[in-house]
Amino acid sequence: MSVPRLLAPFARAESYRTLVHLATAVPLGTAGLVVLVTGWSTTVSLAFTPLVVVVPLAFRAAVGVVAQAEAALARGLLGAEARPPIVPAGRGLWDRARKAVTDGAFWRQQAYLALRWLIGFPLAVGELSLIGGSLGALALPVYYPWSDLQIASDWHVDTLPRALAFVPAGALGLLAAAHVLRPLRRLWRSLAESLLSSDAVAMDVSPEVASHRRRRALAVHAGAFGGLAFLFIVIWALTSRGYFWPAWPVVALALPLAIHGWAVLLEERPAVSRTLRATPTLAVHEGVSAALFLFFVAVWALGSRGYFWPVWPLLGLAIPLGIHAVVVFARRSESGELTRRIRTLEQTRAGAVDVQDEELRRIERDLHDGAQARLVALGMSIGLAEQKLRTDPHGAQELLAEARKGAHEALEELRDLARGIHPPVLTDRGLGAAIATLADRSVLPVTVDVELTERPPAVVETAAYFVVAEALANAAKHSLATSVTVRIRRSAGTLGVEVADDGRGGADAGGHGLTGLRQRVEALDGTLSISSPEGGPTTLMAELPCAS
Amino acid sequence: MRVVIAEDLALLRDGLMRLLRDNGFDVVDAVGDGDALVHAVAREHPDIAIVDIRLPPTFRDEGLRAALELRARAPETAVLVVSQYVEHSYATELLADGRGGVGYLLKDRIMNVDDFVDAVRRVGSGGTAIDPDVVAQLFSRRRSEPVDRLTVREREVLALMAEGRSNAAIAERLVLTVGAVEKHVANILAKLRLAPSQSDHRRVLAVLAYLQGE
Repeated sequence: MSVPRLLAPFARAESYRTLVHLATAVPLGTAGLVVLVTGWSTTVSLAFTPLVVVVPLAFRAAVGVVAQAEAALARGLLGAEARPPIVPAGRGLWDRARKAVTDGAFWRQQAYLALRWLIGFPLAVGELSLIGGSLGALALPVYYPWSDLQIASDWHVDTLPRALAFVPAGALGLLAAAHVLRPLRRLWRSLAESLLSSDAVAMDVSPEVASHRRRRALAVHAGAFGGLAFLFIVIWALTSRGYFWPAWPVVALALPLAIHGWAVLLEERPAVSRTLRATPTLAVHEGVSAALFLFFVAVWALGSRGYFWPVWPLLGLAIPLGIHAVVVFARRSESGELTRRIRTLEQTRAGAVDVQDEELRRIERDLHDGAQARLVALGMSIGLAEQKLRTDPHGAQELLAEARKGAHEALEELRDLARGIHPPVLTDRGLGAAIATLADRSVLPVTVDVELTERPPAVVETAAYFVVAEALANAAKHSLATSVTVRIRRSAGTLGVEVADDGRGGADAGGHGLTGLRQRVEALDGTLSISSPEGGPTTLMAELPCAS
Repeated sequence: MRVVIAEDLALLRDGLMRLLRDNGFDVVDAVGDGDALVHAVAREHPDIAIVDIRLPPTFRDEGLRAALELRARAPETAVLVVSQYVEHSYATELLADGRGGVGYLLKDRIMNVDDFVDAVRRVGSGGTAIDPDVVAQLFSRRRSEPVDRLTVREREVLALMAEGRSNAAIAERLVLTVGAVEKHVANILAKLRLAPSQSDHRRVLAVLAYLQGE
């Protein structure tokens, strides 16, 4: 290696930056460790109180702050592409806590903080000691008279040659310290980039790859667990073989493995949460609670085995789990309600469309058979009259009178048709007047009892009108009733329409007219019911929602 | 007789104008909405305003509202409301002030030109013209015992009285002598316990009020 290449690291600014980054592991690594230890000990000690929902939020925030600082350092000093993602927002405390905990970035940031202390701290101490020692050795010829460095009990650095003998060692140490900076830089840069950047890359992977990764991670975890357990047992076997202490670390390590395994199982087999009739989150909660309880039972079994104290953490775990379950089931019944509602709406909308379609066809038929035909006849009468005008004025006059009668009949028919589509008086004067007109037109004596302080919405008025019209027509046609009562009341957001006759009953609720009426009412979210026992009386009731 | 017409459909407005002019009326203005009608009446002081019930902008009962406004603001002008449909409650609103010079007819009646022209003249000179359909509605509404006790002929006379026709007109319509009609009228008023009245319009009001059950 040429001399310039040997000395090159000293000329590179990045070397010094890397050195600074290494040195910051001492304060920041310690800060990270404090956050991790505090966070985890608080989480575990509050695990079976409701506060366990809040703690992860604070923990997540603290980790986020340190991770942002670390990322800024890594960017500035190592040129790493490290941009920690924004902590995901959520709706409500529970959702935020859930999102915080399930956010992969949170766990990767924790890993980075842990590594920063576990590797970074010793590396910093080692590197700084090496540099300090090497510089000291290089400078020894200058300050040896004052240092009184003692290497062995009878070998002091008290002469210049002796001091000079340290210089090569110092130079070598300094060279080594300089040359390890580059690999260290690479190491931390890749760690920062993989652990502190957002997981946009991870999100792009296909479900198969993600599943494969999850299984592999679990396998590694399980393998590490097995290896450690084996190691503890070997150590125990090789040493005292007395009290079987490896049970403790094995139980302690089994808890995270169990939780990890449960989480992967739920992810891989959605059927499991379905069997438990739970949401994925609730299933995780259940598994974690069960694992914690089993953990406490194991601790109790390994320990005194006296008073069964795990009953208390059981209680502590059961309460939040119970609350969670209640929330989930309440929400589920709410969504079940919504599903039913959507189904009803689909049906009633289809019914409304049918009604409308049928109405349009009826109107077309009426126009075709009625007014149009009459106008054709009218035109013919006038044409004939025109012909006869000179030869037979008297005949022409008769034809014209006939034509006028035809025009009058066509008008009557159009008027009835228009009234069947939408009665003008309903628009002009409201439901009360329109019902009164209906009652007047009915062949049966009708008592009208309408009490309305203000007009309901137009669609509700129209529906109520046609309910009454159809009911009165049915009563006149089939019931053999002697009187009918129409009662309309508005109460608490509904318009109640009741048409009762004193006839012979036995109305067919599935009949054509009533089905159309029901569809009309249901399209407005209302209900139509009919009571018509054989022998009478018949009562038709419609409830129409009308927000006031 | 000076006439103002309020009708938004040009076809009908022009037809009505021609019909009235051919029959010796002086159509001084023809307008398309309620506000214009009120202005035209204030300017022209016609004897009668013929008003379509449905006018812009709402196409609901604009014409009726304008007619009621005219009744209050221009009492010297008679009002004849015409419509594609009739409701007895509208007739009640028009007759509410108790004054004559008011009419309410289906547009169909225009086709029977002589009858329509007669109605316009009657209303224009302070009388009443109520559509037979309105009267029929009222008859079906009032199924009381006194009405049931009337003879068929008496009911025919009662209906024509309610329409606002004079005894002479009733006699002509039913091919009776005026004396016979007078006898029928006296019988009807007695059976319904209504006081005899001097003017035709008073008689109409009394009969209509009776039929409405008031």
